[in-house]
Amino acid sequence: MIQLFNVCKVYQGDQNALSDITLKIEKGEFVFLTGPSGAGKSTLLKLLYCAERPTRGQILVNGRNITRYGAARIPYLRRNFGIVFQDFKLLVRRTVFENVAFPLEVHGRKRIEISKKVYQTLKSVGLEHRLNYYPLQLSGGEQQRVAVARALVVDPLILLADEPTGNLDPEVTLDIMELFKNANARGTTIIMATHDRNLIRMFPRRIVSLAGGSLAVDDLPLFQGSAGTTGQS
Amino acid sequence: MILRTAYFLKRALRNMRQSPVLSMASVGTVAVALALLAFFAIAVLNVQQLTASWGETLAIVVYLDDVPDEKTVNGWVKDIENYPETSKVTFVSRQSAFERFLKRLGDDADLIEGLGAEILPASLEISLGDDWRSEAAIATVVERLRSDHRFNDLQYGQGWLEKLQAFLLLLRVSGSALGGFLVFAALVIVTNTIKLTLYARQDELEAMAMVGGTSLFIKLPYLVEGALQGLLGGVTALGLSFLVFQVVLQKSLGSLLLITGIDTIHFLPLIWQGMLVVGGSLIGLLGSLFALRKFVRFGSS
Repeated sequence: MIQLFNVCKVYQGDQNALSDITLKIEKGEFVFLTGPSGAGKSTLLKLLYCAERPTRGQILVNGRNITRYGAARIPYLRRNFGIVFQDFKLLVRRTVFENVAFPLEVHGRKRIEISKKVYQTLKSVGLEHRLNYYPLQLSGGEQQRVAVARALVVDPLILLADEPTGNLDPEVTLDIMELFKNANARGTTIIMATHDRNLIRMFPRRIVSLAGGSLAVDDLPLFQGSAGTTGQS
Repeated sequence: MILRTAYFLKRALRNMRQSPVLSMASVGTVAVALALLAFFAIAVLNVQQLTASWGETLAIVVYLDDVPDEKTVNGWVKDIENYPETSKVTFVSRQSAFERFLKRLGDDADLIEGLGAEILPASLEISLGDDWRSEAAIATVVERLRSDHRFNDLQYGQGWLEKLQAFLLLLRVSGSALGGFLVFAALVIVTNTIKLTLYARQDELEAMAMVGGTSLFIKLPYLVEGALQGLLGGVTALGLSFLVFQVVLQKSLGSLLLITGIDTIHFLPLIWQGMLVVGGSLIGLLGSLFALRKFVRFGSS
């Protein structure tokens, strides 16, 4: 599903964000991307949805090399992704319904189809009773659930989540993780950046750990089988 | 396609509703710039008409000290009408001249009470063809008339006409320069106003790009918004200039302007009115286009 070959990213001012990352993520996998702040987790996610371009190396998504994608092809690539951010990035002047309907409008779906799908998705995250609320009228947990609904409403092949539980209390974090688990069970590949060790312990999945822009650990949880690559190959 | 158009229109209207102050600023700027342009156009149009009418009436007048019999006068008229530059020759008798004078005096007609038509000379009024209203043509005709011993008292409004034409040219040039400047200023202000709305909605633009909105999909509502604001500005300018035309030009200045010889003051022709509204839309559209040019990006490269 996702392959990275010797990917490097150097920001302006010679700031080395990622060095020589080679990684393969299979379809339907759930991967935790961990590491301390500044390790390069967000940069790696941004490279996947083309918000940043690699300085060197190649990235393949669903068999296509996206490294040299032009601006015109990027929107269509992004339609394969659902993206969830730590700060939700909801449109505060739009209702919950409108926020979740938004990606479907972008995809050019029909109005009736949009209404049905949005209701179903909001029901799946337990927010069907908040349809006409505005984001700022909701709690942090509810806002993140709206953001998850917005990401899942298009049935994405891949869900990228950048510290989605970073601003949430433990109870709400578990709710959000349940939503991700359900999406994963339906076949969505999930890459979740987090530095919450408790969370990783509670939901044992493949761990890709970055340190100083390099791949430090690529490991499967013990009960799921043998260990993967450790350190940079 | 229709559904898509309706969607973009709806979003543009919604954007305008959400930022009423900024929208009003754009509409107001376009309206003021185009209204000023319209005033200049009205002035140029009417002065142009004035020069045309003066050009026609202020051609060459041959005063006749002694009025010959009708047959002779008709012969003279025919002779002059044969000049290639001449479009019309009118014989004005002493009586006609006197009546015209009385009419022009209006309420002050009693000033010449007791006087008769003999105080004014008869004349031949020579109008030149449209292509011959130039200094050179008037000089040629005057020369030709002077060489004819029958006509020696000549008067022609060449100086006036030239001054008027120079004034018209000045009006056109200054109007175009000011108009160009105003349109440019409106364009800059509309561009910046839309930039402000874009800054205010940067989260929305980012979200649209993030969920796979194409550049056109993201930009179109803003382009429609700009065009709509421009359209409203154009319509407001038209209404404003019509109001000024009705209240100031026709009612207050109307009688004053009539003295100069303009029968009626004209408003902008229909095609110009259409151009004003379409021009407003174009200013709005271009303003949005400039604002959006470097705004919608899909991440750094």
